[in-house]
Amino acid sequence: MATITVPQVIPSPTEDADALMKAFQGWGTDEQAVISILAYRDAEQRKQIRLAYQEKYDESLLQRLQSELTGDFQTAMCHWVLDPVERQAAMANAATKCIHEEYPVIVEIACANSPTELLKVKQAYHALYKCSLEEDVAASAPAGNLRSLLLALVSTYRYDGEEVDGGLARSEAELIHEAVKNGENGTTDDGELIRILGTRSKAQLGATFSCFRDEHGTTLTKVVTQSGPAAWIRSHGLHARAADHGEVRLGRQQLLCEGPEERDARVSGDRRGQPDPGGGDARGEGPQGHQGRVPEDDLRCLGASHRQGDIR
Amino acid sequence: MPGCPECVSACVCSDQIWLVYKGHPMQQFLAAQAASSNSSSPAPPPPPLRSRPTRREPQQSVNKEAAAMADEQQELTRAFSGLGGLGVEETALVSALGRWRKQPEKRASFRRGFPGFFSPAPTASGGAITIERCEDEYVRHLKTEFSRFKNLMVLWAMHPWERDARWAHRALHKHKKHQGSGCILVELACTRSAEELLGARRAYHALYSRSLEEDVAYRLKETEHAGLLVGLVAAYRYEGARVSEDLATEEANAISAKPGNNEVLARVLATRSKPQLRATFRIYREIHGKPLEEDLIAVGGICLQEAVRCLDAPAKYFGEVIAGAFKEGADKQAKAALTRVVVSRSEADMEEIKEAYVKQHGAKLVDAVAKNTHGHYRDALLAMIGK
Repeated sequence: MATITVPQVIPSPTEDADALMKAFQGWGTDEQAVISILAYRDAEQRKQIRLAYQEKYDESLLQRLQSELTGDFQTAMCHWVLDPVERQAAMANAATKCIHEEYPVIVEIACANSPTELLKVKQAYHALYKCSLEEDVAASAPAGNLRSLLLALVSTYRYDGEEVDGGLARSEAELIHEAVKNGENGTTDDGELIRILGTRSKAQLGATFSCFRDEHGTTLTKVVTQSGPAAWIRSHGLHARAADHGEVRLGRQQLLCEGPEERDARVSGDRRGQPDPGGGDARGEGPQGHQGRVPEDDLRCLGASHRQGDIR
Repeated sequence: MPGCPECVSACVCSDQIWLVYKGHPMQQFLAAQAASSNSSSPAPPPPPLRSRPTRREPQQSVNKEAAAMADEQQELTRAFSGLGGLGVEETALVSALGRWRKQPEKRASFRRGFPGFFSPAPTASGGAITIERCEDEYVRHLKTEFSRFKNLMVLWAMHPWERDARWAHRALHKHKKHQGSGCILVELACTRSAEELLGARRAYHALYSRSLEEDVAYRLKETEHAGLLVGLVAAYRYEGARVSEDLATEEANAISAKPGNNEVLARVLATRSKPQLRATFRIYREIHGKPLEEDLIAVGGICLQEAVRCLDAPAKYFGEVIAGAFKEGADKQAKAALTRVVVSRSEADMEEIKEAYVKQHGAKLVDAVAKNTHGHYRDALLAMIGK
């Protein structure tokens, strides 16, 4: 559940915009003041503040934050100020620019969101970048398993319901077991694995992983961690990219199985320094519209900070 | 009607029936009969359908009656979809009911004069009493023809998303082995807008508790074009008009570089926006002097060709599907395609389809439909196609 706390009495967006301008003025920035305002407002309130700031001071709040703040704090606040769906679209776009290193971002966005949320992210992507997320992923990912898997994860519109077919879960657990075993032996047959992970509903996949655990006495995560990447490197003589494939499988599978709390714990453990406000926000907030959406220039600045390695 | 069995049999042993049911098992019977009628045989050779028997002065009135009867029977045969065309002529059937009320001998003579569809069957082991039994295939044929109008109306009443979801489901589950089923999925995926395709996928969730992508991937996993179909069906294309000529040139060259490699083409077809794809196809045509579909025919893979045709010029594609339904020897799926195309496109791009049809076939679409369909089905189609 969402952890953001909003004060009992909320100042108007214009008051908040004025307070922010006061914090920006002079030498340096009153960062505590910025945090005390922005970190205690939900997504709709932050959007209103953005609009009020733009209207009153005729400049973008995002660009001002970019210029006033530095480092990880700057990245965190700039992401925080965006709409949740636009934030994820911006992150996905930045990830497609250096997909070899940043593909986990795309995997995370594709898997951790519900089908409806992923659809909203894709719609925001259309509006912001005038092209589809799938075409950027397909164009930038190298041909092979990585591209097939990323494209499958990003394109699919999964069934959102709870219905599960037990027989199918058992048969697909077997298929997964075969595929992983073949990966160990050097014969890769990832088509079936990608098909299952890329199309089945989350409930169905949960049932499949349970069947795998019941049948083989160990979770798929452990099997892939132990035997996947290293075995691929040994058997194929490939470089780190093969490890990526294993990591992708691992990351993908984990992300599908884990609940929101586990995700937050993992994400905050990964991101040293700044907690990622985007994760909890994405689930705690309701659907957001696209009025007052962030101009492209601001997003380009955000993309630049990604490439500089400010965000990991 | 007393006497003149030759005139009765003259009604239906016609070349016209033979042409329509080419390849049909019943037709083999008819063909054999037509062939035997040419060679010397015990039965007298039946004259062509529309010709009147030679009039001899003393028998003039009898021949007139026979001719009228022959006409009536031919009319009834056509109404029963026995002379080709889609659908049945409901009003003619009802009026025949009325006219022939309490005249079972007229019905009997109609059955006897329709040898491809009714055949004599002995009822007792002695074979003393025979009835003209209806061929099973003709019963099935009639069921299909009678239900064309019903199917059209039910589909018309449905939400477009539900229609598309049901067609996709049927293509995957009922007609899986038929080569046309992949083409139906390609048609749905490529000719619908991004929002319509998404809506169809939503409807699929609601109807079948599965996603369309997972069913396509699972049911077609053994086939060579599984990857392409899953990609097309899962696409959520950018709908804007932005086109990059550089990108189009780059992708046209990438496609040309590996003509046998479908992976590049599948990726491009499944992800790029439609205006971008049309630019790519145009540049390909400029480079090679011929359209991409022609090169794909040589490489094989009918789904790829269909996808390119649907994405490049959907109106032309639909015109060809409609023409395919009217061809002689068209199979069940090809005929059902007429309903599908007209119902799904009547509020979308029917005008463009009409123009494309005239360009391709030299005849107006409304004329072709009026000529090749019957009854309420014809009227419904014409109403949907418009003037």
